[in-house]
Amino acid sequence: MSTATLEKTELKLGFVPLLDSAPLVIAREKGFFQREGLNVVLSREPTWASIRDKVSFGLLDGAQMLSPMPLASTLGLGSQITPMVTGLALSTNGNAITLSSQLYQALSPKLRSRSSAAEVGSALKQWISEQPIKPNFATVFPYSCQHYQLRYWLTACGIDPDNDVTLLAVPPTKMVSTMQQGLIDGYCAGEPWNSIAEAEGVGKIALTGYQVWSDSIEKVFAVTQRWALAHPNTHLAVLRALLAACEWLSHEENLAEADRLIALPPYLDRSVCPMLQARSTPLMQSFYGDEVNAPALSHANLMLEQMERWGQWRGGDHAEIARSVYDMDLYQTVQHTMPACA
Amino acid sequence: MNHSRSLDVLIIDDEPKRAEALFEALNALGHKVVCHLPGPTGLCTQVSALSPDIVIIDMDSPNRDTLESMAAMSRTAPRPIVFFAEKESDRDSISAAINAGVSAYIADGLQIDRVKVIMDTAIAQFDAYQDLRSELEKTRIQLSERKIIEKAKGMLIKHQGCDEDQAYKTLRKLAMDRSQKLVDVARNVIDILEQVTTQDTGQR
Repeated sequence: MSTATLEKTELKLGFVPLLDSAPLVIAREKGFFQREGLNVVLSREPTWASIRDKVSFGLLDGAQMLSPMPLASTLGLGSQITPMVTGLALSTNGNAITLSSQLYQALSPKLRSRSSAAEVGSALKQWISEQPIKPNFATVFPYSCQHYQLRYWLTACGIDPDNDVTLLAVPPTKMVSTMQQGLIDGYCAGEPWNSIAEAEGVGKIALTGYQVWSDSIEKVFAVTQRWALAHPNTHLAVLRALLAACEWLSHEENLAEADRLIALPPYLDRSVCPMLQARSTPLMQSFYGDEVNAPALSHANLMLEQMERWGQWRGGDHAEIARSVYDMDLYQTVQHTMPACA
Repeated sequence: MNHSRSLDVLIIDDEPKRAEALFEALNALGHKVVCHLPGPTGLCTQVSALSPDIVIIDMDSPNRDTLESMAAMSRTAPRPIVFFAEKESDRDSISAAINAGVSAYIADGLQIDRVKVIMDTAIAQFDAYQDLRSELEKTRIQLSERKIIEKAKGMLIKHQGCDEDQAYKTLRKLAMDRSQKLVDVARNVIDILEQVTTQDTGQR
């Protein structure tokens, strides 16, 4: 443990109930926060908007965020300008595009058991052209990899996301029930909400996010730049605890225990517990490794390009913004000050 | 024709008593108010159809990201009020709203001063409801159910290391996410946490 004095030891961190909130849950339940001298309360947040506002206005010290979110807040997209920073990515991949069972069945004569992104797309394009009304597709949040992946894939397949389909937003916890009511035909969301749709026979995973963008940073841990300046040692301690949790999650023999801990209330809670066995879906979700945890500038740039491409941002100095939000120096300091492995 | 001071307000709240109180308070100020407790797709349709000047919604409502997306995708949809915090004093009043659990979405072009009275009214109603909540629970919920909720809160406080308010909010969020009654969520939480305590004896 580092000897630097912690500026704050009682922390409240936000998470959204998704499989990739695992690093925060594990850091708390396995005592990695405690080892750093931190007493952390994890606050379950129902929406990304809630995470953004509570971090911006100091009700939360920091939170798990969608990887484009700290960039969007820094740019003031959809919120007031609040400069944010991330020194650690928490996961890569883990998203999927799920189609309703009826739609999947309609496309199935043209699909193989693991069709490519292009094959699913061309089947969908033809189906759309035969429909009297536009199908509805949903994502969770406008500044998310899911949103960009869905748009990117549709466009690449010759489907105009703004004109050929209706894009809606539905909270992750309501995604499966909304599909069951027949209100949406497809969505792009994080786990476990795709596996749940499959398990309940409501939908079918047609494509993984990995097939659209391989090894893309999905969630990051972020704080405001103001908070980071005021709490440099506490910040490092939090990131070390989270990185230790990511490392722990990379061991196959820990996964059964991880499933049990993530299923506790108020994390993912029992309603989704049986689905965690669905890890066999080829979503390629990872929590640990340099290529996972480094807040890579290349990813920040990709996100900025997407914001510009889809008209969310007027554009500007990509490199400078990426550097100020995705802090590689901080990540390296975290790595160098990690306690030696036992 | 509307008076210049009258605004169209949409209230989205799953606490009927609170929504009703706010409805009346805003009506008394001369605004045209609509309350709704919709599902996510119904919400899109309703916001487009009503085009309210301001939407007042519980900070912890799962429907907020739907409004965020509408704001990002359409120029005419109401925008999150945090977007308009230009001055430090705006930030302070928004901070007060967030603390009270109020969030708002307002139509572009609407001056923030005009919204301020509505926000202040909502904050007052949310605060008052906070105090009223335990009173209401006493009359509305049977003693046996209240005991279950108290027990679940106690177990969450112990396991999560949080305070009572946070434990209550956690139960409420679980209830909203699962569309279940508070007492059913509480029962489930007790079941799971009791199992953990038996399994982990000596470990935790």
